[in-house]
Amino acid sequence: MSENQNPQPQTGTATTDSDQSLTTTTGETVEQTRDEWTNYEFQGEAKMTVEDLDVYYGDDHALKGVSMEIPEKSVTALIGPSGCGKSTYLRCLNRMNDRISSARIDGSVRLGGEEVYQDGVNLVELRKRVGMVFQSPNPFPKSIRENIAYGPKKHGDLDTGLLARLLNRSDADERDRLVERCLRDAALWDEVSDRLDDNALGLSGGQQQRLCIARCLSVDPEVILMDEPASALDPIATAKIEDLIDDLSEEYTVVIVTHNMQQAARISDQTAVFLTGGELVEYGDTDQVFENPHSERVEDYITGKFG
Amino acid sequence: MAGASRTGGNLVEKETTETDAVAAVAIGLSAVLFALAIAAMFERISLTGTLAGVETVTLLGGLLTALGVAVIAFGVGSRFGSVETDPDPSAGIIAGGGAAVPWVVIGGAVASETLGFGTAVGAVAAVAAGAVAFAATVLPREDVGSTLPLGSLLAVTGLVFFTGVIGPTWVWELGWAQQAAITAEFLIPVATLFTTLYGGWASAKAYGGFGARGRHMGAYVLVYLNAISIVAFLFTLVAYVVVQGVPGLLNGADIGLGTGPETTILGVSVTLPVSVPFVMNGVALFNDFQGVLPAIVGTVWLVIGAVLLAVPLGVGAAVFLTEYADRGRFTQVVEVATNGLWSTPSIVFGLFGFAFLIPRFGNGKSLLSGMITLGFMLLPLVVITSREAMLSVPDEYRDASAALGVSKWQTIRSVVLPAALPGVVTGVILGVGRIAGETAPILLTMAGGTFIPESQTVDVIGSFQFTSAPPFVANPALLEATSALPYQLYALITAGVGLGSSVSDPNAFRWATALILLIVVLSFYAIGIATRYYFRRRLRHN
Repeated sequence: MSENQNPQPQTGTATTDSDQSLTTTTGETVEQTRDEWTNYEFQGEAKMTVEDLDVYYGDDHALKGVSMEIPEKSVTALIGPSGCGKSTYLRCLNRMNDRISSARIDGSVRLGGEEVYQDGVNLVELRKRVGMVFQSPNPFPKSIRENIAYGPKKHGDLDTGLLARLLNRSDADERDRLVERCLRDAALWDEVSDRLDDNALGLSGGQQQRLCIARCLSVDPEVILMDEPASALDPIATAKIEDLIDDLSEEYTVVIVTHNMQQAARISDQTAVFLTGGELVEYGDTDQVFENPHSERVEDYITGKFG
Repeated sequence: MAGASRTGGNLVEKETTETDAVAAVAIGLSAVLFALAIAAMFERISLTGTLAGVETVTLLGGLLTALGVAVIAFGVGSRFGSVETDPDPSAGIIAGGGAAVPWVVIGGAVASETLGFGTAVGAVAAVAAGAVAFAATVLPREDVGSTLPLGSLLAVTGLVFFTGVIGPTWVWELGWAQQAAITAEFLIPVATLFTTLYGGWASAKAYGGFGARGRHMGAYVLVYLNAISIVAFLFTLVAYVVVQGVPGLLNGADIGLGTGPETTILGVSVTLPVSVPFVMNGVALFNDFQGVLPAIVGTVWLVIGAVLLAVPLGVGAAVFLTEYADRGRFTQVVEVATNGLWSTPSIVFGLFGFAFLIPRFGNGKSLLSGMITLGFMLLPLVVITSREAMLSVPDEYRDASAALGVSKWQTIRSVVLPAALPGVVTGVILGVGRIAGETAPILLTMAGGTFIPESQTVDVIGSFQFTSAPPFVANPALLEATSALPYQLYALITAGVGLGSSVSDPNAFRWATALILLIVVLSFYAIGIATRYYFRRRLRHN
C-alpha cells in the first residue's frame, strides 16, 4: 500500500487508528497484525470522510470502527459477503439508518468537511445532497413525470398545483425540462419520452431502476449511494445500469454496494472490502485490490475460497 | 361431459367411455337434486303437488334411488374390473367418518321409532349402523368403500320417499314438553340435500377414477355446490324482498309529463316527469298515496354525517398509529380497544348516545345525536381497515421518499395515503353497510314519530342560518328528531301504529320500506365500490 506515496498526508490517510496514521512504518505493522489495509491514498479531493464509525443494532455490533475517505467524482465499490455491514455503512452516509429505531451510531461522517452526525443537521438538505438508489426498483405508483418531479415539488422548487395554474404561475415548462434532463442523464428518455404520463409501475424492472436513478438526480445530489442497484435485473439491464454509472461518475460521486465482484471490477475506481463481523479489511485501487490484495482474507474472498 | 378428458394411470388422454358418461350423468343428477332440495326448502316447489306430472316426493325418491344405484353400480363395476379406474387401497378415515354419520342417524331412528324398541336399543343400533358404515368405507378398496355405503344411503332414503313410507303429510311428534315435531316439509328437503351432497361427492370421485384425481374431483364438486348454495341463498333473499316490495313501491307510480311533484333544482322550479309517491311523499291525511320520503332523507343524512365524523378521525388515528407511534404497549392497547369497540353491541352505543349526547344537544332526540352515535360506531372499523391499508403500503415507497429528503408528513400525504386509499374506502363501505341498517341506536337517539308528513323532511343544507352571536352558524334541522328507514321498518312491524287508517295495504307498505332500505344501502355500496375502483385505477394505470 505504500507503493503510491502521496505527499499530502491530510488527504487519503484513513486508518483505523488515527494516532498512528502519520507514521507509515508503525502504522503498517499495526495494520499487518490486525490484517487491515485501509490506508488508501489517492489524488484529488475527498468528498466524504468517515472516521471510526461504529453501528449497533440493539446489542449487535454491525459495523466496527470503519474509517474511509471517498474521493470525489469517482466510483467507489463496497464488496463483501452477506451480513458484513456494507449496506449498513452505505445507509450511514445519508443517515437513512436514523429511520431504524434500534440503530445506534458512533463516529464521524463528513460531507465536504461538514459533520453529518451532529445536532442541527438538516436531513432534508443532507439527503438532497446525498441521494440513494435502492436494491429493488421502487418507483412511486404515479406517472413517470410525477415520479421525477416529486422531489423538487415537495421541496417547493416546482409549483404546478391548482392554485399556481389558476394564478398563471405554474412551473409546468420548467418541470418538463427537468424531467427531460433527468431522464436523458439516466439514459431512459428515448424509451419513455412518448409516455411520460403512464404509470411508472408499467415499466420493466431495468427501466424502473433507471427511473429511480433519474428521480434521484432530480434534486441535484453531489453523492449518489447505490445499494446493489442491479441485483434484481437481467444481464442486459445490468449492462445499461453499469454504463450509466460510468457516465454519472463524471459529475457525481458514486458509492455502490454490490455482491458481484466482476461488476465491482468493471465499474469502480476504488474498492473497499468488508468481511464478516462488520470490519473494513482492505480499501484501495480497484486494480490493486483485485489483482494483488494485501490481505490474505481478502484474497481468499476474492478467489472464492471464503465467502 | 364428452368434452372433459381424463388422464388415469396412463399419460395419454383416453377417449371418454360410456362408464365415464354414467358417472357424469350421476354428477348432473346430484346437481338437479340439490337444486330441487333447495327449492323445496324455500317452498318454491310444493311437496304435496306434482312436478313434471309426477308427485314431487315420489319424483325426489325415484331420482335419489337412481343416483344411489348408479353410484353403487360404478363402484362395484370398478372392483370387478369392468370399469377402468385407479383406486387407492382405502377410502380413508375421514370418508369413513363422513359415511358413518348419516347411518348413525338412520340406524337410531329406525330402531327406536319405526320399530319401537326404545331409546336404549336405538342407541345401540345407531352405533352399530355407524360402525358398519365406517367399516364398509374404510376396509374395502377405495372404489367400493367410497361408493357402497353412500350409494346404499341414497337408495334407502330414495326408496323411503318413493314408496311413500315418508309422504308429504308425514309428521313425527317428538313428544317433548315444548311443541316440537319433525315434519315432512322439513325432513324431505334436508334429507335430500344432505344425501345428494354425499351422492355428488361419490359420483365425482367415480368420475375422476378414484385415487388422487378422484379425491380432487370430489372436493371440487363439494366446494362448488357449497359456493352455489351461498350465492343462491343471497339471491333468494334479495329476490324475495324485491318481489314482495315492488307492488308497494310502485303503488300509484306514474310516468309522463307533469305527473311528478314540483321541485326546485338550482333555483329553477321544474315538474318531474316521474311520480313514485312511495319515495316522494310523506304520510298525511289527505295524501292519495302514502310514502316514506322523510325516512329516506333521514337515512341518507345520517350516513353522510357519520362518515364525515368517522373518516377524518379514523384515518388520522390510523396515520398516527402506523406512521408516528412506535410499535409498543400503547399501540397494542389502542388495537385491542378498537377491536373491542367494533364488537360492542349497537344498543350500547345507542345507550351512550341517549345518556351522554341527548342532554348536551337540546335535551331531545335529534339527527345530530344519531349522526354522532353512528359515527362512533363506524370509527373503529375505519381505524382498523385504514391501519391495515397503511401497513400494506411497501416501506420502499417511504424509503424512496425519505432518500429524496422529503419530510415524513409530506411522504404520508403524497405517497402513503394515496396508496392506502382503496383499502380505506373498503373499510368505509363495510362500515356504512352496517350502520345504515342499525335500528337500536337510532331508536334511542334520533327517531321521532313513525309516520312523518312530507313537510317534516329534514333539510340540512337549507337550514343553515347565520346568527349574530357565537357560534354564528346554527342549523335547527340537525337538532330535530327525524326518522330513518330501519327504525321506520321496525316501528311498522312491531307497532303498526295507525296503519289501518292511513295506509291502504299495510303489508305492501312494510315490504316496500324494506326494499327501499335495501336499495339505499346498496346505493351506498355502489358509490363506495365506484370510488375504490377510481382510486385503484389511478394508482395502477393513471
